[in-house]
Amino acid sequence: MVKLLPVALAAFFGLAALPAGAEEVPILRIYTYDSFAAEWGPGPGLKAGFEATCGCVVELTTADDAIAVLRKVQLEGATTKADLIVGLDTATSAEARATGLFAPHGLTLDKLTLPEAWTDPDFVPFDYGYFAYVYDKEKMPNPPKSFEELIALTDDIKIVIQDPRSSTPGLGNVFWVQAAYGERAPEIWAGLKPHILTMTKGWSEAYNLFLAGEADMVLSYTTSPTYHQVAEGVDKYAAAIFTEGHVAQTEVAGVLKSSEKQELAQKFLAYLTSVEGQKLIPTTNWMFPVVDIGADLPAAFGEAPTPKLLEIDAADIAANSRAWVDAALAAIQ
Amino acid sequence: MVIGAAVALLIVLVLWSITATAATDPGTSPSRIDLPWLVLTTTIQAGLTMVLSLLVGTALAWALNRLRFPGRELIVGLFASAIVTPGIIIAFGLLAVWGRAGWVAEFTGVRIPIFGLGGILFAHVILDASFAARILLARLESVPDFRLKTGQSLGLSAIQRFALIDWPAIRPTLPGLGAIIFLLAFTSFPVVLLLGGGPANQTLEVAIYSAVRLDFDLRGAVNLALVQIAICAGIILLASAAAPIPANLGRSAPQRWRDGAWVQALQEAVLVIGVLGFGLPLLAILIDGLGPGLGSLLAQPGFWRSLWTSLAIAAASAVLTLLIGLTLAAARAASPGRLVKTGIGAPAYAYLAVPTVVLSLGFFLLARNAGIDPELAAPFVVVLANTLLALPYAVSTLAPPLEAIATRRGKLIRALDLSGTQQFRSVEWPLIAGDAGVVTALAFCFSLGDLGVIALFGTQDFATLPLLMSRALGAYRSNDAAGIAAIMLLLTLAAFVLIPKLFQRLGHARA
Repeated sequence: MVKLLPVALAAFFGLAALPAGAEEVPILRIYTYDSFAAEWGPGPGLKAGFEATCGCVVELTTADDAIAVLRKVQLEGATTKADLIVGLDTATSAEARATGLFAPHGLTLDKLTLPEAWTDPDFVPFDYGYFAYVYDKEKMPNPPKSFEELIALTDDIKIVIQDPRSSTPGLGNVFWVQAAYGERAPEIWAGLKPHILTMTKGWSEAYNLFLAGEADMVLSYTTSPTYHQVAEGVDKYAAAIFTEGHVAQTEVAGVLKSSEKQELAQKFLAYLTSVEGQKLIPTTNWMFPVVDIGADLPAAFGEAPTPKLLEIDAADIAANSRAWVDAALAAIQ
Repeated sequence: MVIGAAVALLIVLVLWSITATAATDPGTSPSRIDLPWLVLTTTIQAGLTMVLSLLVGTALAWALNRLRFPGRELIVGLFASAIVTPGIIIAFGLLAVWGRAGWVAEFTGVRIPIFGLGGILFAHVILDASFAARILLARLESVPDFRLKTGQSLGLSAIQRFALIDWPAIRPTLPGLGAIIFLLAFTSFPVVLLLGGGPANQTLEVAIYSAVRLDFDLRGAVNLALVQIAICAGIILLASAAAPIPANLGRSAPQRWRDGAWVQALQEAVLVIGVLGFGLPLLAILIDGLGPGLGSLLAQPGFWRSLWTSLAIAAASAVLTLLIGLTLAAARAASPGRLVKTGIGAPAYAYLAVPTVVLSLGFFLLARNAGIDPELAAPFVVVLANTLLALPYAVSTLAPPLEAIATRRGKLIRALDLSGTQQFRSVEWPLIAGDAGVVTALAFCFSLGDLGVIALFGTQDFATLPLLMSRALGAYRSNDAAGIAAIMLLLTLAAFVLIPKLFQRLGHARA
């Protein structure tokens, strides 16, 4: 009965059941966020690319966002089936490390072209981007060049941001203002208040409000205009570069201690950060690759402006992020 | 009775599994939330939504009941489809009409401030009042012929007619309907944030979401969820206590009793405003989605897989909802005291009060503790979750007519010594087939709605249309998302026109 259940289920819903006897081929189970594994995301390409050489089967298991992936592994603890997590970021990696569930990556990452030196012993970076406010060049010929210039604009200039309690860019925005202004952060938030059209649950609602013309600027990434250039041939969007600098979001992957396939998992990490693996990233995840992939990087990525990097200490984030979020929300309440 | 208890037990299990996990994890810490303030603002918002939705819904049902015109069924289907369309889609449809870059601003140059409490209420009323209109219309159309004929021969005025004939028909449904609308608005979260205009407008649900996801404070999340459940339970019990025994049952032939000319003009005005208010945002969704980008969407094999998965799940949960809903409603009708009735009916509503993020966590932990692979459990959980979500609608729609049958025809049934099956086939079914059709259509379409419940269950292969849509939205693919939204709306519309018709036919065949 127990065995019949999954089979009946698979038949009923028309899902492909695993071929019998697949156990001889090792299965590498990767937990990742939903859009990473989507048809148009980097997941399918990376799976096919790695399977071509590893003599294994890659299985992608998803949760709806990166934080949910971490929570899922935390709930499963040492009994998790996952060998790897792909898709945490530098804002959540300190918390992930504190769970004690992750093993050192063991790779020598000497080819990285990240804006900051990489020293993390557990997590491997696989793409990055800068948070930025994106605007329409036709409607906004003179974009603000700092948070203070944005605040000084008339109140009918509206921005859309994401709730830091439910969205990673929303949280990144709080870190950004904090890194740029320190103790003055609540003052900046209070200044932004009249410009905030609304604060959405996730990135997609905010970005689509902006595309629908409801707001003048949206909190997104410097690579967002690149998507419109490469995939749609539309050149009217741009990211406003702020003189105080920008906070970067670096996405990372890590191997779980409980995995029995440490070696295979490390091989995947090596593939993920290789030129071959990285070639897949820019036009699927719309972020910068972490190594030099030469001419495989679409020209539009090279044209995306490189802002000054505002560094922010992971330990500082772990200790203070809640207080920062509370202060920001209180200032715009 | 057993099913009512099972539904309640499931919610207890969900919360218990989370608390048990929280107990073994010392890493959680309390959140700081201004709870009284959150509860107050959420209650005000939900209360306003409820009152407005019932008022507008009643007016629409009244107008639709009186008027006959070509395309009427389509309008009825249109109203019904709003509630099962994901709130976020409706909100974007609303903005396409009323927003800064919307049709109204474009054609008139008038900018209406849509963000804030006004926008939230507007979107919620579109979602909920149209649903209320559909349910109330079904009650108005069950007013028996003899009452109408008597009323007509007495020459009742339009006001008297509403007070003496319509009101007794819709009143028993109002408390249950009001409770549902209150719960929906109380727990609404993405729409409230989208249109709320900043953190001044939010709901308790966002605090719970943040406790689970960001803080991973499971005990705090359960406590907040209990606060939400307690408030909502109060509303549910109030509604159950306020529900009188229904007076009407039966089917009426097409109305031939028209109101006076100026009343008719008023009805026409109500309907035109209603169709514009409700129809334009939906029309905007269709126009946006059925554009040139549709071809590339239809060429994706993933789209078709999701479509079939969605339809299979919708069919399964519709059947399950109808069965459980009929059983609960019949048990409620057959039981003697008001207290017992409440005890049977209330658990069905409780599900609406449990935050999605908590349910999703609870189901995940339950599956894991039971040793079931979450990936294999995902389809079952979706069917179960959609059934539970549709259950309050089923009970609130089916209970009043079944109770009317029990009070009016109970003696006859006992005198004829009918068996349970005979009673159902020859007495109850012909009278409730219409309502059952609406319930089935609702349940069918609900599985095209929210899927937050399997947030932690995901696999690459198992995707439904809403999941595919949120994937597309999260990857800049707005055209695909708009196309999926339009197709979901069309499916819903078709289901609401065809399924009730099918049931009506089945009811007549058996009668």
